[in-house]
Amino acid sequence: MNTPCAHIVDDDEAIRDALQWLLKTRKMPCTTWASAEEFLDAIGPDWAGCVVLDIRMEGMSGLECFDVLRARGNTLPVIFITGHGDVPMAVAALKNGAHDFIEKPFNDGDLIAVIQRAMEINAEHRQAQSASQAVSERLTLLTTREREVMALILEGKYNKVIADELNISMRTVEAHRSRIFEKMSVRSAVELAQMLKGVSL
Amino acid sequence: MDTSSLPASHAHHWASRLPYAALALFVLLIGALIWLTRVHDEDSQRHTLISDVLWMEQSLQFQLDRNAAQLAQLGPELVVSDIAPQTDARLRQMLRAENGLTRVIWLDGAGNILGVLPPLSEAPAGNDDLGLQAIIDPDLSRLSRTIGRPVYGPVYPAAGGGHQFEVHIPAYSDSGLLGISVGVYSLEGLLARELPWWFTEKYRVSVTDSEGNEITARSRVAPLSDTHSYTMPFDPPGHGLMLQITAYKGDIRWIPVILMSSILALAIILLWSFWQLRLQLKRRLAAEQALRGETLFRKAMEDSLLTGLRARDLAGRITYVNPAFCNMVGFSAQELIGLRPPMPYWHPDHIERLQEIHDMILSGQGPRAGVEVKLRRKNGEDIDALIFEAPLIDASGRQTGWMGSIMDITERKRARELARQQDDRLQATSRLITMGEMASTLAHELNQPLAAISTYNSGCLNLLEEGYIDPLELREIHEKIARQAYRAAAIIHRVHDFVRRSEPKRERIALNDVVREAIELMDADARKRQMRIVLQLAPGMPPLTADPVMIEQLVVNLVRNGMDAVAGLPGERRVITVTTQEKNGNLILRVTDRGPGIDADHAKRLFEPFFSTKQEGMGMGLNICRSIAELHHGRLAFEAGAEGGAVFVLTLPVEMETNPA
Repeated sequence: MNTPCAHIVDDDEAIRDALQWLLKTRKMPCTTWASAEEFLDAIGPDWAGCVVLDIRMEGMSGLECFDVLRARGNTLPVIFITGHGDVPMAVAALKNGAHDFIEKPFNDGDLIAVIQRAMEINAEHRQAQSASQAVSERLTLLTTREREVMALILEGKYNKVIADELNISMRTVEAHRSRIFEKMSVRSAVELAQMLKGVSL
Repeated sequence: MDTSSLPASHAHHWASRLPYAALALFVLLIGALIWLTRVHDEDSQRHTLISDVLWMEQSLQFQLDRNAAQLAQLGPELVVSDIAPQTDARLRQMLRAENGLTRVIWLDGAGNILGVLPPLSEAPAGNDDLGLQAIIDPDLSRLSRTIGRPVYGPVYPAAGGGHQFEVHIPAYSDSGLLGISVGVYSLEGLLARELPWWFTEKYRVSVTDSEGNEITARSRVAPLSDTHSYTMPFDPPGHGLMLQITAYKGDIRWIPVILMSSILALAIILLWSFWQLRLQLKRRLAAEQALRGETLFRKAMEDSLLTGLRARDLAGRITYVNPAFCNMVGFSAQELIGLRPPMPYWHPDHIERLQEIHDMILSGQGPRAGVEVKLRRKNGEDIDALIFEAPLIDASGRQTGWMGSIMDITERKRARELARQQDDRLQATSRLITMGEMASTLAHELNQPLAAISTYNSGCLNLLEEGYIDPLELREIHEKIARQAYRAAAIIHRVHDFVRRSEPKRERIALNDVVREAIELMDADARKRQMRIVLQLAPGMPPLTADPVMIEQLVVNLVRNGMDAVAGLPGERRVITVTTQEKNGNLILRVTDRGPGIDADHAKRLFEPFFSTKQEGMGMGLNICRSIAELHHGRLAFEAGAEGGAVFVLTLPVEMETNPA
């Protein structure tokens, strides 16, 4: 279930059904869950899209469910559905990293917009995540010596300086450099630096 | 210890010792009297003894002298050879027993015996001349001859037993000595004859010689007195003879004995009774001490009691108060005792009720469980007291008055009041919370179907915009929408049902009575907040068909609002006026306060639910009031007061149009 869709978690069958119907008319994929527990049991780490969580539910409440998701390191954007009296709770959840909240009864446009935005964010996030994953995979191909050389390259040092520091010959440094560029599939040190921005070695 | 009581106790000491001193004196005097009487008695006995002895001696002397004189006279006639018959007769006369002479012998001048009378043969022992010769002491004859006077000889034992002595008397004639006549006395005879019977009855008479040996004695078998004895020389005859007279123990002399013994008996009785008196006194003293201790204990108990005690006589006059009561009301016992109602500690606002209670108690119908009253201390503080009255019964079982125990329950009441207020506030808060909870639940429940409906609706609109319409799908959605609408309606219905449960009861009530009851409920609170509630109730109003509890609640709410409005204002403005009147088939109740009034903005929103100008208000009071008014087909309206306060006007129709429902 890694096609992006909106996961609607609400204990009220009518609300679930109505939301599903509404999203269907907008051609938006969605799945519904009758309780937070059911949803948490099913969710996998590679799920995409967003979660629409009713705050007030029988059994585990929306807020508790949100906490569990965050504790598991899941980064799916969460949109809370609140009644009139639950707004302060929703605001608190927002401060804790929820994506947004929408009040019942829903304004159709707002609801769709919020869900769409959340799904976009999730898509971007997933993209970034897959890129950094590729870099990590390439990094694992490097030998220890190559890593040392790469760290010095990233510091912007010349081959001669690197050779001096590591007590190796210029030629060896050059060989390392070309192997690194090849493994990381980059053509220049600048490209390498850009790729590794934000990645701790 | 109080020093002033010292001399008193000293005097008391003296006074208490006085009877003992008197007693000792009495015993001493009685003793002295007895001793004196005894001494006097002894004296007089001794006196009698001596005079008796003297008399006896005199009488013996006289007898001897007379005999001697007669013998001297007869002497010359005897010494002749022949004795004349008359001389003989006289001699015989002399020898009569009572004279003590046993024999007369006459001698011539040479000492030869001339004659003897009675003759010797008549002598008791029948001795011969030799014996006679032997008894005549020639020395005595010679001596008497020489001195020419009677001479007595010593005593010697007589031949026939007994003792004798002689007297030699010379007989002279004109020519000289004629002879000597000798008289022989028997000592025993002398004593026997010469002493009269009464003397020998009283005394033992004995004769002793110069060595103290008893020669003869005249005595009876009777105990001798060891004190009354007298010894004197027996002269004549002399020769160291002594007469010893000893009194017999006299007969008991009954009169002084009775006298003395009665005095003694009386004294003993006196002492005994004195002793008894002392014991009695001791017992009484102990009893008194115990009583005093008991009294002191009781007094201490009464004084240390925290409950006030007050006794009244049957007429209602105060006869006793304990310190706790004085402390409670602030009046001293002197100020209170003897007072009749109305008492100064009665609360001025409750005098009538207190008088009523007082009369009830005096007529014996006082409440057994005690009665709560309002009193006022001397310093003006109000106190709440709980009074229990019980009849005061004296020792003879007669009721003499009433005993009241009074407890100060001001603090307790205040605490209770405080607790009640807190409880009220708590309840209000919990009501508020419950209401919020209810409202929130209701909102959520209604939100669910509404949200569903609007969401379905949005979907439909989306489809319409796209121009794609599947009638079947649309129908299905609309059925769903209808279901949600029914769901919402069901929720509303449930709420309505819940509200319907508090429909008013219909009773025939008098509005004025309900108002009075409501004001009574508020009275304590108003007094505490120093506010006045003035009632102006129109008489003769028709009865109303209404729920008395609801109407009472309405009045209470309006009056409480008024009281809140005037709180903190000067005294003359802390007045709430409640008026009733009948007008056009309506009963009109007005609650007027003289508070700051309500400005126009607020006035518009007055009856809105959850609108309140008060800090703790939940904004339901007036809303509820209006609901009640409407339930009774009446109206509740607000007007600005003529004097700047607020006026709430409740209009209720007398005849309610029948409810169509």
